[in-house]
Amino acid sequence: MSTTEEESDGALRSILPPKQVDWFINVCDHYGWALLLVGALVGASFPVLGLEGGYYMTVLTEMYLFAILALSWDIVGGQTGYPSFGNMAFFGIGAYATAILTKDFALAFPTAFLLAGLLAVSFAGLIGIIVLRLRGHYFAIATLGVLLVAQQVSRILDITGGSSGKILLETPTAETFYYLFLGLLVVEIGLVYYISGTRFGFVLNAIRDDEEKATAMGFNTTYYKTAAWMLAGLFTGFAGAAYSLFNTFIDPQTAYNGAWNVELIAMALLGGSGTVAGPVLGAFGLHTIIELVETYAVGWQLVLLGGAVIVTVIGFPNGVVGTLSEYASQMDYYKHGGMAATDTDDGAEVSADE
Amino acid sequence: MAATQFVVNGLLVGALFAAVAVGFALIWGVVDIINLAHGEMVMLGGYTSYWVLKLGTGTAESSVLLFLASIPVAIGLLFVVGYLLQRTLVSRVIGTDVFLTLLVTFGASIAIQQLAIRAWTANPRSIQVRFAEQSMALGGIVVPKMKLIAFAGALALTVAMYVFLQKTRTGRAIRAVSQNPEAAALVGIDVEHTRAVTFGVSSAIAGGIGAFIAVILNIQPQMGLIYTLKSFIIVVFGGVGSIPGALIGGLLLGSVEELVSGFISSQWTLAVSFSLLIVLLVVKPKGLFGEGAEQ
Repeated sequence: MSTTEEESDGALRSILPPKQVDWFINVCDHYGWALLLVGALVGASFPVLGLEGGYYMTVLTEMYLFAILALSWDIVGGQTGYPSFGNMAFFGIGAYATAILTKDFALAFPTAFLLAGLLAVSFAGLIGIIVLRLRGHYFAIATLGVLLVAQQVSRILDITGGSSGKILLETPTAETFYYLFLGLLVVEIGLVYYISGTRFGFVLNAIRDDEEKATAMGFNTTYYKTAAWMLAGLFTGFAGAAYSLFNTFIDPQTAYNGAWNVELIAMALLGGSGTVAGPVLGAFGLHTIIELVETYAVGWQLVLLGGAVIVTVIGFPNGVVGTLSEYASQMDYYKHGGMAATDTDDGAEVSADE
Repeated sequence: MAATQFVVNGLLVGALFAAVAVGFALIWGVVDIINLAHGEMVMLGGYTSYWVLKLGTGTAESSVLLFLASIPVAIGLLFVVGYLLQRTLVSRVIGTDVFLTLLVTFGASIAIQQLAIRAWTANPRSIQVRFAEQSMALGGIVVPKMKLIAFAGALALTVAMYVFLQKTRTGRAIRAVSQNPEAAALVGIDVEHTRAVTFGVSSAIAGGIGAFIAVILNIQPQMGLIYTLKSFIIVVFGGVGSIPGALIGGLLLGSVEELVSGFISSQWTLAVSFSLLIVLLVVKPKGLFGEGAEQ
């Protein structure tokens, strides 16, 4: 394994020198806020430049949606090391909340949207207190269980429309949703980017690397975990809140979509979990592929999703961003006589072991 | 009286859950992997038996003996599927992050499920087994004959696996790998092969149970996840690595579900069993019979 890797590394190194990758990553790090601003402006300019409501606008809006979901998952799954299989529960609660509030209680969309986010956060807090006490297998399956129970409950209740769901006809324009999802995404990226440089973010990473040591250092890990979990719940809930009206229809299968949950994990992982840019890039990339498959080979997208997950996990579990930065840091080996490279290797092993 | 009837129904179905969970627990204990594609093995086993009968006799109705004859086919085929699943996919992520192992088996689960939908459509199917009299009454309690046969079959498979693990050479190798893979390798056990056999045995039992489920309930491509989750509940309840624990857990889960569906509504069974699971995880994370499951 190592010989072939080195050979292909040699060829790769002449085309794409690690030094330049390193430089590129440094620039991205350094001008993070500027890049975010440019990205937001480019995104916001599309409708102004003539993108009209229709297929392409829907696809772009969905891309933003998935980026929000993947990044939210990553706050807890990648940064804190609690991979959840039940994030879509918050999405479903948000989605049903706006659907019910606008249709049955005749509230205006903005009010319903805010209330839905609030509801999702409260639910996240409540569930988090229980499930965040678990780790590993137990945490993953417990969250999956929460998702399935939430789905089942929405199938039984009358107010959610049972298994036939709810049709929502009075909805804002496609452009409103485009800007809403884009805005949410930009705010979330900004927030996660900011957090990743603060003490709060470092504690989250410490919990991922070794929760017992983090506790021993005097951090109230339960508080940090729950806070991160609720933050993820907030954005996932908001995304769901906007989605039900955007989609004009909601039923238990769409609201609490288990396949989507795997999809957003795959996106975060493919892009590079534990980074800020990774989940977003992964969401853009994988959604484009899935959209293409949906167009040219209807019905095969979930088969592809399963395959993509397997290939990502086995092939490069660090994702695009993770693999690139690892590749770039190979330069450090020559700079510091081997020490830095050993250090990063250790770091990678620690995170892979737990 | 109604309660007794529900409990009897629950015990009959619970033995099937238990047998599926025993295989799930085996993989968890030996390879330290939660196989999220375990339910798909039940599904594939059901379809194998269905297609053997359908293609062999031209109809999905059959006599008891003919149906029972189709079960070894399901067991054999699923052994191969499980063996290959471990050899090609799972072996590549053993020893890495727990989350990655979950994701690989989840990916496999989705791919198998979706391919099954492509191949056989999402419509539920079932095998009809005809008797002169479908059920018999024992002291006022109605017992469908087929459920009784399935109950016996599930117990037989569970006991067979227990004996296999305790008495045979391969079984001892599996237990050795479970205790300490490195030491097992030192005494000449092919660890990779043993792990794959573990997967194979586990899947084979799930496949055999799938055939029974095709008769007493029905089968459809997306049924798998529920069985995986039920297995998880049962294993957590009984404790990881405990076959008697899983057996009792399965019988208990079956009874609870039948009681809930009898007295409240069948729609609430999943919600109730999962709430029980979460309470159990928080109160007694090692299970009622477990020795040392880490939290």
